[in-house]
Amino acid sequence: MNGCDDIRARLYLYLDNELQGSERSTFEMHLHNCRACRLLVENEQLFLDAIRRSQPLRAASPELRARVEQLVTDRQVIVRAPPRLKRRIRESLWQLSSKRPRTISGWQTVAVAAMAILILPVVIWRITRYGDDSRLRRPSNFAVMAADTHLRHARGQLPLEVVSDTPWQISHWFADKVKFSVKLPNYQESSGQEKLYELEGARLVGYKDDYAAYVAYEMRNRPISLVITSDAAAQPSGGEEIKARGLIFHYDMIHGLKVITWSDRGLTYALVSDLDERGQQSCVVCHQGTKDQDFIESLKPR
Amino acid sequence: MGEADNCSKIFGQAALEHIDALYGYAMTLTRDQTEAEDLVQETYLRAVRAFGQLVPNSNLKSWLFVIMRNAWLNQIRHTRSGPRFVELGSDEENPAHWAEDFANNPHILYLRKLEREEIREAVESLPALHREIVVLRDIEGFSYQEIASMLGCPAGTVMSRLGRARGKLRGMLAGWQTTKAARAV
Repeated sequence: MNGCDDIRARLYLYLDNELQGSERSTFEMHLHNCRACRLLVENEQLFLDAIRRSQPLRAASPELRARVEQLVTDRQVIVRAPPRLKRRIRESLWQLSSKRPRTISGWQTVAVAAMAILILPVVIWRITRYGDDSRLRRPSNFAVMAADTHLRHARGQLPLEVVSDTPWQISHWFADKVKFSVKLPNYQESSGQEKLYELEGARLVGYKDDYAAYVAYEMRNRPISLVITSDAAAQPSGGEEIKARGLIFHYDMIHGLKVITWSDRGLTYALVSDLDERGQQSCVVCHQGTKDQDFIESLKPR
Repeated sequence: MGEADNCSKIFGQAALEHIDALYGYAMTLTRDQTEAEDLVQETYLRAVRAFGQLVPNSNLKSWLFVIMRNAWLNQIRHTRSGPRFVELGSDEENPAHWAEDFANNPHILYLRKLEREEIREAVESLPALHREIVVLRDIEGFSYQEIASMLGCPAGTVMSRLGRARGKLRGMLAGWQTTKAARAV
């Protein structure tokens, strides 16, 4: 991020406080040295300040204020668990105890039982699934990096370095920037089917003292990220293993995101999304043909 | 006073701080004073019923805005085929908001009032999607991520929509530079 064009492209990210860390300091360093950009930023800041000063856009009338005030102060608000939940909790307590539980009332009952019900499945799940090999099942660093990158991009903190919806342009852009070959397929073009996703663009992301390729897609207004590196730099591991098409896919849930990682022909991939189930539908970014539906189905949870 | 009553009171006081912001957003959505007032009331009613679900340390203002937006979407889904857009009336603002400035300098007050009116007019004449995003970001100060959660779209979409909205707003406020110069005098 050095040129004035880059600065102008990230102007609002900076003013909206969405640029963080080194990107922010690089931006500010440029402003320190470039008068034209500094004036531009100051002018935009004045403009945004003026808009902000128009707050509140409207003022509630005294009558509305009084009505709402009465509504929030007079109303007797007691948060009660629904009777059905209470009954279930009581039943669970009966099962957990050999004796009839001593009389505890109201919130104590609800709180203790709710804690027990919430914690129990987690404990059972951890024992059955993570038992002896919890280290093996931990997501790989590459999967975690891919999920973090996806989040930062979704928050607007990681702008794309190349914006294009053409796979070959993106592939070409990576040609002299990464040590491996990135070839994005265009299944939609070859199959003639309806396009289910949009390619947005790409950028480089740092991983283990080198660059990995980051490609951003969008499907039905939901972002999908594909991160690629060489299999020498990262090997998929951890999570749930799924075998399909002679490959082993690793599925993890990281920060609430579905992350699928795998290696194939010298490259390691991570596909991140918040799509349903295991996020397997995100695979359409490379496998949109009807013949690939079986493959996508095979990644669904059983 | 019981704990629940105490919580209710604290919540009520905190929630009331956002009534002007919510009313402004309600006007942005409905463009009708009566509907906006009903929407504000409905929002508080829902909030009071659901405040037990509010996660501690979460953003109350953002939570109220989400409730309002959902209430509005629910309303238009049930009563209309789509949002109705009508011209705004020329209701006067609450003079209390000007009191502080007025005490300082009547000239600045006058210029600020002109600026506010000009900006408000420009914001309200933006297309619905652009109007909403400018209100949420530039007036109410929500982050890209908060807006994305409210609107159910990626932060990238928020960013691009905001860029277009600001471009339009700038175009409409071409005379703003003059106001700015006058303010600087």
